[in-house]
Amino acid sequence: MIKKEMIYRNPLVNLGYDNEDILPVGGFGAVLAHAGVGKTALLVQLALNIMLRENSVLHVSLNDAVSKIDVWYQELFHNIAANFGISEVNDYWDKIQPYRFIMTFKVEGFSAPRLEERLTDLMEQNIFKPHIVIIDGFKFDEAGRGQLVQLKELARKYFMSIWFTVHTHRHEPPQENGLPLSFLHVTDLFDVIVQLSAKGDEVYIKSLKGQSVDSKQESLLLDPATMLIKNSK
Amino acid sequence: MKIEDQKIRNIGISAHIDSGKTTLTERILYYTKRIHAIHDVKGKDGVGATMDSMELEKERGITIASAATYCEWKGHEVNIIDTPGHVDFTIEVERSLRVLDGAILVLCSVGGVQSQSITVDRQMKRYKVPCIAFINKCDRSGANPFRVISQLRTKLGHNAVAMQIPIGLENEAEGVIDLVSMKALYFDGDNGEIVREAEIPQNLLGEAKAKREELIDAASLFSDELTDAILNEREITSELIYAALRKGTLEREITPVYMGSAYKNKGIQPLLDGVNYLLPCPSEIENVAMDMNNNEETVVLDSDPEKPIVALVFKLEDGQYGQLTYIRVYQGTLSKGSIIVNIRNGKKVKVGRVVRMHAEQMEDVEYLKAGYIGALFGIECSSGDTFTSPEINLTMISMYVPKPVISLAIVPKDNKSQLAMAKALNRFSKEDPTFKTFVDAETTDTIIEGMGELHLDIYVERMRREYGADVTTGKPRVAYRETITQRADFNYTHKKQTGGAGQFGRIAGYLEPISDAEFIFENKIFGGAIPTQYISACEKGFKQSMAKGPKLEFPITGVKVVINDGASHAVDSSDMAFQAAARGAFKEAYLRAKPVIHEPIMKVVVETPVEFQGPVMGLLNQRRGMIIGSQDEDVMCVIEAQVPLAEMFGFSTILRSATQGKAQFTMEFAIYRQVPQSIAEKIALEAAENKKSAA
Repeated sequence: MIKKEMIYRNPLVNLGYDNEDILPVGGFGAVLAHAGVGKTALLVQLALNIMLRENSVLHVSLNDAVSKIDVWYQELFHNIAANFGISEVNDYWDKIQPYRFIMTFKVEGFSAPRLEERLTDLMEQNIFKPHIVIIDGFKFDEAGRGQLVQLKELARKYFMSIWFTVHTHRHEPPQENGLPLSFLHVTDLFDVIVQLSAKGDEVYIKSLKGQSVDSKQESLLLDPATMLIKNSK
Repeated sequence: MKIEDQKIRNIGISAHIDSGKTTLTERILYYTKRIHAIHDVKGKDGVGATMDSMELEKERGITIASAATYCEWKGHEVNIIDTPGHVDFTIEVERSLRVLDGAILVLCSVGGVQSQSITVDRQMKRYKVPCIAFINKCDRSGANPFRVISQLRTKLGHNAVAMQIPIGLENEAEGVIDLVSMKALYFDGDNGEIVREAEIPQNLLGEAKAKREELIDAASLFSDELTDAILNEREITSELIYAALRKGTLEREITPVYMGSAYKNKGIQPLLDGVNYLLPCPSEIENVAMDMNNNEETVVLDSDPEKPIVALVFKLEDGQYGQLTYIRVYQGTLSKGSIIVNIRNGKKVKVGRVVRMHAEQMEDVEYLKAGYIGALFGIECSSGDTFTSPEINLTMISMYVPKPVISLAIVPKDNKSQLAMAKALNRFSKEDPTFKTFVDAETTDTIIEGMGELHLDIYVERMRREYGADVTTGKPRVAYRETITQRADFNYTHKKQTGGAGQFGRIAGYLEPISDAEFIFENKIFGGAIPTQYISACEKGFKQSMAKGPKLEFPITGVKVVINDGASHAVDSSDMAFQAAARGAFKEAYLRAKPVIHEPIMKVVVETPVEFQGPVMGLLNQRRGMIIGSQDEDVMCVIEAQVPLAEMFGFSTILRSATQGKAQFTMEFAIYRQVPQSIAEKIALEAAENKKSAA
């Protein structure tokens, strides 16, 4: 019951994407927003959905400590499961937690070869094989296109897809397509791009790239109190 | 009591064994005129400071390693706080480090950064203790202080910068060049007590200038004024350099490095100057407490001596006059005659004698102001207790004391050891609330309980070394627990009619699992099916049943008992009858409530050089561990995992051999979690065998 209820809440399917995974194997997805709007919260919900479907998520953070990211997951999971008994929720959390692995790097210490080295450590010993990777805090304006091309190769090699958070700056006006200038040089590498924007007390989730042509895009909101996704209607 | 806060330094000296901590401490006490003679610290092989400080103390009868010794240097008061020799993250270590405001990290100029230096450095990092480094033993063959500085950078990630360069090394070590004042310093007199300033020898001038340049460059990052002076080619004064370095040191962004040889009496006085110039005074460190009236909300303490008192007991010592309680005052003024409250138990005490410890004697004082360290006599308390003024309710340390997860039987070898063991156990349980001891009623063995194998190992070792108690230990036992997973009804009648007064009681209701409490009893009886006076007997009976599961005999937790019906007899019902009925009811329902075994799961944090990350993860995985994540920190990597305690026995040895001794781990209790079926069967089998052998 708890499993069914929570899978139903796949956060992005309602935006008009074709399948539950949203990204194809080897694909890139990006969540764009200003600082503090909810990029990590959105991706953690996406990750939880994947974990509930018993697929593995590797969460790579270049900003925060392992313990802080773990708290994100626990908080959002408990918010999603707020209607269920605490004992049931805790048991279920114990069941899905092994589907997640958190890795943190210092921004300057992160590179595709380093990530591959760590992944090989895990996969060779059969400890963890990710289905989806989340990279939170990647510096798009500093890291050239080369890094992303390497990561793309890595994603293809290991049959994964990768989601990125993209920090957009308030002083940088978006281009016509809604994308920030500092992101334009790599846009073609991305299959899906989603934007979060705060208007008044609400945070809107908008798809900028990748939804199926005949889909009718519904508008989604992030509830600022729980950071959970909800329909705007 | 004449010195203001800015001139107090509460420091620790952290060092790898054999890097000269004892000799250095002794020289500091000598130059600050706390002791009046220097003794050679030589081991049996005559190579150097190889004796451990405990033996040394006994032999010399001085208290260089007492919990806090104070000395004065150039108008500053320096409290040297003993940092525990063992490197486990026990509560005791945590407390000692909380008391420090700064530290001297001592390194050997030959051995450099060794594994224990890595550990002590991590402790400093964890508790954000600003430090300066001292590279000792520059007189030794193979000494190379600049290699050690580069290791400080690469192995420990410190932004290490030399404050001095040596004048000669190995047996030609003569003194040091101070890169701030650009003077050569020589240490004359029989014991190096006369510091002679001279011009820098010509052959070292070039190197000194280059290194000074590096020093100023590094310092300029912390001072706009210094940067300005450099850019405008103005005079760069010593004050400007020290101010910048101090700022960087306090932020832990830079580590100034001094050098010398404690054994050869070289370089100690400049190091003490460095303590004065660069390490923080108490008010520069933010200390926090938790407000017990406000859900343990964090409160920043103010070093104002006028405010209500907040003080932490960090060490207890048995002296000839009774228990000496070492205390650090964080806020307010603790004076003779003040009334203070022990937050742990709410007991009010009146402060009697207040003393400050010197190396060899103690001095009575009237009061201790915020930032000061001293000792109290005649105060009954435990280490880690917080004392405050009666009007506030703050605690320096969380009041939450986790329950022990592992136990061990200890047997003294003889009568003498028995007495020493009892004394030691009494002391340890006062020092550490997570350490418990009791006598098993069935086996009459003395059992010690704690938070992990290492935790108990340390106490057994301390029992042997400090108290001379020769004890043997049994196999460690994991504290398994049982709990139920589903609701089960009961309707049980206890009836006995075997001559004399009969016994009668019927109880009906149900058991159900709960996750946020150990035991809840709810009475839903209306209409007096069980008379009110027997309800507490029912509760008592159920509670008794929780102590030992009917099948595996582990303590039971997480059970809610609801009673909703029953019956009594006017003559035969009694408290005893209802207690027995409750026990019977529990037994009846328990097995139907699908009991499971829970085991303690530990949060294990391994810090390892990155090249061993893979093998370490493998080790954790083999132990039924769930790896939460890994954190890359330049050359080191931190792996966090949850591993069942039962799988962690002997892990330290295995980890050492898998990582050439370069990895360290800490372990603390995280949660209780259900044991997998296959393991549960094994445990049940073992429990049955134990029961058989006991019978």
